[in-house]
Amino acid sequence: MSTEIFGIEDVNVWVDGLIRVLLIVGFMTVVVMGLIYGERKILARFQQRLGPTRTGPIGLLQSVADALKLVGKEDLRPRNADPWTFELAPYLVFIPVFLGFVIVPFVLDWQIRILELGLLYFVAVSGVNIVGWIMAGWGSDNRYAMIGGMRAAAQGISYELPLVLSLLAVAMVVEVPAPVIDGAASVASDSEYVRGSLNLNEIVAAQHEVPNLVWQPLVMIVFIIAALAELNRTPFDIPVGESEVVGGPFVEYSGIRWSMFFLAEYAALLIMALVFAAVFLGGWAWPFGIWMDDAPPRWAQALAVAAKAGAFIFLVFWIRASVPRLRIDQLMSFSWKVLLPLMLVQVLVNGLVLVYDWPLIILTVVGLAGVVALAAIVDRAVRHPRPRPAVAAQLQGEAAS
Amino acid sequence: MVVDAPTPSEAGDFETQDLLINVGPQHPSTHGVFRMVLEIDGEVVKDLVPYIGYLHRGAEKLCENFDFRQGIGYMDRTEYLAAHNAELSYVMAVEALAEIEVPERAQWIRMILCELNRISSHFMFLGAFGVDVGVFGTPFIYAWREREAVIDLFEEISGDRMMYAYFRPGGLAWEVPVNFEERVREVLASSRQGVKDFDGLLTENEIFIARTKNVGVISAEDAIEIGMSGPSLRASGVPLDLRKTEPYMYYDQLEFEPITAEGGDVFDRYLVRLKEISQSIDLIEQCLERLEAGPIMAEKMPRMLRLPEGEAYMRTEAPRGEYGIYMVSKGGNKPHRVKVRSACLSNLQALKQMSVGQYVADAIIILGSIDIVLSEVDR
Amino acid sequence: MKGILKSMMVTASTFARKPVTREYPEGHRELPERDRAFPLLLWDQDIDEPFCTGCHACERACPVECMTVIMKDNPNHTSNDGPSKRRKIIDKFYIDYARCMRCNICVEVCNFEAIAMNNTWQGHETSVYDRSDLVMDLPQLLAQSKAKQIEEWVAE
Repeated sequence: MSTEIFGIEDVNVWVDGLIRVLLIVGFMTVVVMGLIYGERKILARFQQRLGPTRTGPIGLLQSVADALKLVGKEDLRPRNADPWTFELAPYLVFIPVFLGFVIVPFVLDWQIRILELGLLYFVAVSGVNIVGWIMAGWGSDNRYAMIGGMRAAAQGISYELPLVLSLLAVAMVVEVPAPVIDGAASVASDSEYVRGSLNLNEIVAAQHEVPNLVWQPLVMIVFIIAALAELNRTPFDIPVGESEVVGGPFVEYSGIRWSMFFLAEYAALLIMALVFAAVFLGGWAWPFGIWMDDAPPRWAQALAVAAKAGAFIFLVFWIRASVPRLRIDQLMSFSWKVLLPLMLVQVLVNGLVLVYDWPLIILTVVGLAGVVALAAIVDRAVRHPRPRPAVAAQLQGEAAS
Repeated sequence: MVVDAPTPSEAGDFETQDLLINVGPQHPSTHGVFRMVLEIDGEVVKDLVPYIGYLHRGAEKLCENFDFRQGIGYMDRTEYLAAHNAELSYVMAVEALAEIEVPERAQWIRMILCELNRISSHFMFLGAFGVDVGVFGTPFIYAWREREAVIDLFEEISGDRMMYAYFRPGGLAWEVPVNFEERVREVLASSRQGVKDFDGLLTENEIFIARTKNVGVISAEDAIEIGMSGPSLRASGVPLDLRKTEPYMYYDQLEFEPITAEGGDVFDRYLVRLKEISQSIDLIEQCLERLEAGPIMAEKMPRMLRLPEGEAYMRTEAPRGEYGIYMVSKGGNKPHRVKVRSACLSNLQALKQMSVGQYVADAIIILGSIDIVLSEVDR
Repeated sequence: MKGILKSMMVTASTFARKPVTREYPEGHRELPERDRAFPLLLWDQDIDEPFCTGCHACERACPVECMTVIMKDNPNHTSNDGPSKRRKIIDKFYIDYARCMRCNICVEVCNFEAIAMNNTWQGHETSVYDRSDLVMDLPQLLAQSKAKQIEEWVAE
């Protein structure tokens, strides 16, 4: 079998695959190193510090130095650790994150593979790495690691749902050209457009004029919250909480294995940012009617994607510098009792819009109402905290006596 | 620790075992070398056993071999975050035994320095506590920024950044620099900005409130029974502030009210300390108005101080609570016995009662909210 | 939500402020004149000998017993047709910087103003590989003053 890459025809499939994998790995490693440097510098500025300054000009080589140091470190394994679980865990965290890159639309018609069910694929692979977290937590033979691994599992599963529902809500109502079957328009409707697609390229193309952020404000906010939880970022860095479980599942890892977790974490951030840019901000399209009529040139597309993904990443860093960590029970109840019902209502409304072909402005109104409701619920929960459960009171009574 | 035999779970289908986890003495959140063993069921703390003594250096015993100037340096090291306050208790105990009249200027400067030390100590608390709650570094750097300003001032006055050794029985070691007043005002201005930053960063943050409200509650009765003091006690609603209830130096001439809160939870302990910084800024300004030129050392101080027989207990309101020195003299130039009444040690007794039944993450912030300094606990 | 936004505005305001970092090994902050590093001995530039007469006052007053003082007869004394009025002078002086707690008592008890707390950066940057290298002998203690690298601060 042969395929085509970079305009070269007749390339062996395996060679083609190898080139693509090398491209992703190389690209991602470089970008992740830049991200780590960027995070350190940006966080430092949020805290009135300088950040790294001593390695290379304005500390630019800091990540390189760190990477070299990590590669050079001894790869330790605790004596009582389960060898297979312990050593396989980093790969199981690392590989699913890489798989996610397959569908990311960097620029128009330029990605690893265009999949019809791209979003479904993304959601599926990004959920797998929880297995790696649990394995790392269990295999380390460390109680901090185990607590961290269990927390990661609970959190990952809880926040998968709002994340999937938010992507679903967008995919439901997105307007795509009707598929052409045998030269005739689809039977679904007489118009040129139909609603609903899981293909990321089509979702981006549909936002050519108005990005989804206008139609789906609530969905976007829920996506950001769920993404923060999926990425284990503040305020949801409970599994790795430095002040409680001192690094969680990674506590026993060192050297290259630890750096794989680290790499996976930032790569996941990058993919999440790119998906966010594609789904909510219109991917490579330029806003405000610039290059409205035809597709912008490649460099402009790349610039737009970078800027949009960069904005998301900056927001993540900004939140990290500003808010405390939630507690595990609060995190769970926030997901199941607040985000999930809100998203179900949103999906219902989107379904109505889809079926009855109502104008999209309804979505904006409902979305904004949802944002207000979310803020009100959070506000109320803070002002009227629930009393402590009876078990706690009983334990406290025993301790006092 | 003895692990209890596995108990059948409530569902009765499989047996669960409680997990023991050891927190400290090397753990990012134990504020020094404190160690506690948590017995947890899932995420809920069922039992907590604290262990202290990792930083015991025998300061009390050492002081028996020191004359009254040498002892000051050791008092700094028992309470290194508020060394001026620790020195103050010591020199006041000596002065009470020797019946020395301290000149006015020295007293006012002592008050200013102690209040400044309270500011720097409370900032230290806010920073460490913010990190415990989980903000990545920001409160810590904010706190460090403000504490640095105060410490720079201390360095200009006494020459050292932490171990000042500046108070002496009878007054001060030497005169403050000429630009003292204006430098203090500069520091106060920057501290005010720091309070504003913290107020904006944490006080209204919903996540912070959710984490701290109704967590680690201790009632006023329990707090008194345990012997808590300082901001931790005042957060439970007891207006006990030695500066007001038992004024020493010239605190009776200043206008202020002890800051209290109602809930006795972690949030209140945070808020009381934040407000106390503002209060200290206000107190220092009142002190500066009353500061006049004059001698800084009592007249006719002997070269080597000898105390008459007797005993004295002097307690002062240190940032963490009542810091007292009980001193017994049997004549001569050395104390027969020195006992440090540590506020942290008493406050720490409440840890178990506050933590049991809470989540693991809560136990950490409860420990942080007590604001312990291990060198004071262990001495 | 409002409180979280407020927190984020606070961090944004610090983002715009100037960083407060002191870049330490590159730039040294100017130390206040009263700064107390470790004690060192002073050199009498007029007569070209140490001020210290080896009277043991500081050794006795030191709470941590980090000093060792040995005195000798002064070869430069007027009785030996020398320029100095000091009958006795320091022969050997050791200060263990690893034990010193920088309490300033030795400076206060000295009758000859022969010892002072180092108020330069040299006094702070004393890291060594071996702890025994922190035991300073007489030439090391006098070196900075002899080279006029220090302006000691004296409390009035």
